[in-house]
Amino acid sequence: MSAVLEIRGITKQFGGLTALAGVDVTVGEGELVGLVGPNGAGKSTLFNIIAGAIPPTGGQVLLEGRNVTRLASHDRARHGIARTFQQVTLFGELTARDNVLQGLHRHVPSRVLAGLVGTPGYRAEQRELETRAERLLDLLGIGTHRDEVVSEQPLGIQKLVTVAVALATEPTVLLLDEPGAGLSHEESTRMMDLVSTVIRRRCTIVLVEHNMRIVSRYCDRAVVLHFGQKIYDGEPGGLTADQRVVDAYLGVAELA
Amino acid sequence: MKTAALVLLLLALVALPPLAEPYMLHVAIVVLMNAVYAEALYVIMRMGYLSFGHAGYIAVGAYTSALLATKLGMSVWLGFLAGGTAAALLAWLLGMVTLKLRGIYFSLSVFAFAEVVNAVFRAFDFFGGPAGIAGVPRPMFFGVRLNTHLGFYYVVLGAAVISLGFLYRLAATRFGFTLLALRTRDTEGLAESVGIDAARYKTLAFVVSCFFCGLMGAIHGHYLRFVSPFVFTFFFSTDLVIFNMAGGLGSFWGPLAGSVLLTALGEQLFAAGYYKSLVYAVVLLVVILALPGGLIQLPRLREAWAARRLRWAKQPVATTER
Amino acid sequence: MEVYLPLLAQGLAIGVLTGILYVLVALGLTLIYGILHIVNFAHGEIYMLGAMAVLYLHVVAGLPLVPTLAVIVVLALLLGLAIERGIFRVLRGQWLQLVVASVGISLVIQSVGWIAFGIQEKSVPSYLPGIVDLFGIRLPRERLLAAGVAVVLVAALYWLVYRTRVGLAMRAIEEDEETARMLGVNANRVASLSVALGFVLAAVAGAFVAPVYSLNPGMGLEPILMSFLIIIVGGLGSITGTVLAGLLVGVIQSVGAILFGSEAAYGLVFVVMIAVLVARPAGLLGRV
Repeated sequence: MSAVLEIRGITKQFGGLTALAGVDVTVGEGELVGLVGPNGAGKSTLFNIIAGAIPPTGGQVLLEGRNVTRLASHDRARHGIARTFQQVTLFGELTARDNVLQGLHRHVPSRVLAGLVGTPGYRAEQRELETRAERLLDLLGIGTHRDEVVSEQPLGIQKLVTVAVALATEPTVLLLDEPGAGLSHEESTRMMDLVSTVIRRRCTIVLVEHNMRIVSRYCDRAVVLHFGQKIYDGEPGGLTADQRVVDAYLGVAELA
Repeated sequence: MKTAALVLLLLALVALPPLAEPYMLHVAIVVLMNAVYAEALYVIMRMGYLSFGHAGYIAVGAYTSALLATKLGMSVWLGFLAGGTAAALLAWLLGMVTLKLRGIYFSLSVFAFAEVVNAVFRAFDFFGGPAGIAGVPRPMFFGVRLNTHLGFYYVVLGAAVISLGFLYRLAATRFGFTLLALRTRDTEGLAESVGIDAARYKTLAFVVSCFFCGLMGAIHGHYLRFVSPFVFTFFFSTDLVIFNMAGGLGSFWGPLAGSVLLTALGEQLFAAGYYKSLVYAVVLLVVILALPGGLIQLPRLREAWAARRLRWAKQPVATTER
Repeated sequence: MEVYLPLLAQGLAIGVLTGILYVLVALGLTLIYGILHIVNFAHGEIYMLGAMAVLYLHVVAGLPLVPTLAVIVVLALLLGLAIERGIFRVLRGQWLQLVVASVGISLVIQSVGWIAFGIQEKSVPSYLPGIVDLFGIRLPRERLLAAGVAVVLVAALYWLVYRTRVGLAMRAIEEDEETARMLGVNANRVASLSVALGFVLAAVAGAFVAPVYSLNPGMGLEPILMSFLIIIVGGLGSITGTVLAGLLVGVIQSVGAILFGSEAAYGLVFVVMIAVLVARPAGLLGRV
């Protein structure tokens, strides 16, 4: 299995605070990796670094063998890294379809002149993009909400739209930041079912998750971060047995 | 249906003027100019940038063309383009720096820019100082200098139709659509994460916006036949913002409606400048408080009110910059 | 150069006195911004109203100075409460509408001012005529009085914010509104109070400036521009930053006017503003 995402020796300092201290992770093609750790362990920071939102203090990020550490986040998106955010982030005043449409733009050149005139070719392109957007929403089971403004939708629908937007870029690697957070048990099961079936067929996934049960059930691998260091990298089943992991969580009931 | 109405309007705008008296033509000219200014501003307001300094770019356009015509005797038509280009160039240079700021910081920086521009024009004799530059010529058209209101009206109409047409289509293209994704710092981050180069889009939008301001500003200067630091002031910038807000920011038609209605109204109140400002300000406040969505939403007022009532619940005291 | 030095010293001294008044206006702005996060464009007009009130109440109607000031304070308080309740509160959450609305309020007040005031220049006679000579620097007693009052008010503001329960409530809301609310702080009352206080500061500054500068309804523009610059340089939301930056700006403008002429000094102030915005968008001591 080839390594599609490689994180080599990533460190991140914020002033005097070390958020990440030399993290190495290799993600193989088609894997579903769970990134876990107590609050403040550095999970979101790592995501931000992989996605290019913040630069690392040291280390490298390689995508399919190519060093993308110096690339701006929009360039990385064009190379195949997509992500969702811990706080639901959407284009609030737009409909679900328009949100996904924004994500599709990277697949077509801007073609401003044709757009200004409104050539038939341009309009056909637009229609095709809209159809693709709708299909993506259908894929995640929220096709009926396509014309609704996202800011007025409940959290469950919003989270699915954020995933659709990220998927629109047709990423190689998809970073999901706590996809189940804030959702009811039923909604988060639905989300994870989608992630582990439909979505994982399309790309490699790394997800941040607090809920150990979800990680054990759905992920191929679990990576545990603690105070910016990797303390476990392997089978999710082995999590409860590993002493370091247990110590890190120190009596948190969720471990069962 | 809509196209038929537009074609009819266009025909009227072309065919009727020879029958009108000069004052009516003056009003029409001012309405057309303000419509272009308002729609040019709208380009950047769509992406969440509030500018209280657009008059500065308009002034740059006006002065550039005026200087080229009076000092170098250059063709006025070229002067128009030069005005637009000068404003666009300045926008590109300053945009690189100011577009990184958001919210009130951006607004203040553009405002400061406009004040600096006017201060520079006032301070140096090259620009005519506080008196400005007089004797700015009208363009020549096949050997005839367009000194009449009617003649110049067609110049303004032509420029306005082209500009408004371009700006309308721009909003309708993917480019315009992408600008909607850049409204706040958060959505900008989201846009970047799906591959949109936010900085490039913002700069391009800003340059386009200022180009049309400069272009129309140049035309404005040649219409008045003089330019001075007291024409394109902070109050002018504020008027443009009022046209946008009062008209409604939901679509291209909002600023157009706002600028046409308020300019026509303003010309009626031409008598005392301060009455005009008062009326504009009151209309603005009424629209903001009672007509969410602007004047253009008047037909759908009830829905807008209901939607707003939903949003009123549990708002925090601190309003963070969007 | 020999001639310059005393001139510069004079400029410096006047600059400090002017700066303190700017600080007063800017503090009002920063207070409102700190709590509500909105930049009140109408602030300059409140300053203008303070000055106008002195003209109409004291000079025209003959009310003695101290009652006039008392009336001004009360009116400013009421106006602040009214505007917060009637406009700011209604538009909570809509940043763009709030900013533009405050511009609208500013225009309304200014336009009404021009219509009511007319074109003639009017002036207010000095409260305390005479000049104090300090090591060759001539300081008008008037300006010293104004500066003195400003210092007292700034001190009072510090006392209010850092030593009273009300101030504690304000700081709580500014720091973490949600938690403050959960702990029982009445956010609405804090909001109203901030705006009212901010208005009072601006109005009093205007009242004390009335005899110094000539009066006209447009006089609010310059102080508010300076205030923006001050709070940007000093950092939006920081009282100490505002004070320091205010003094700095007063000095830059005064000295700049001596060296380069007042027009250029005015332009210079804006160039400084752009430079600071670009280099340190949060201001020298800013937190937001």
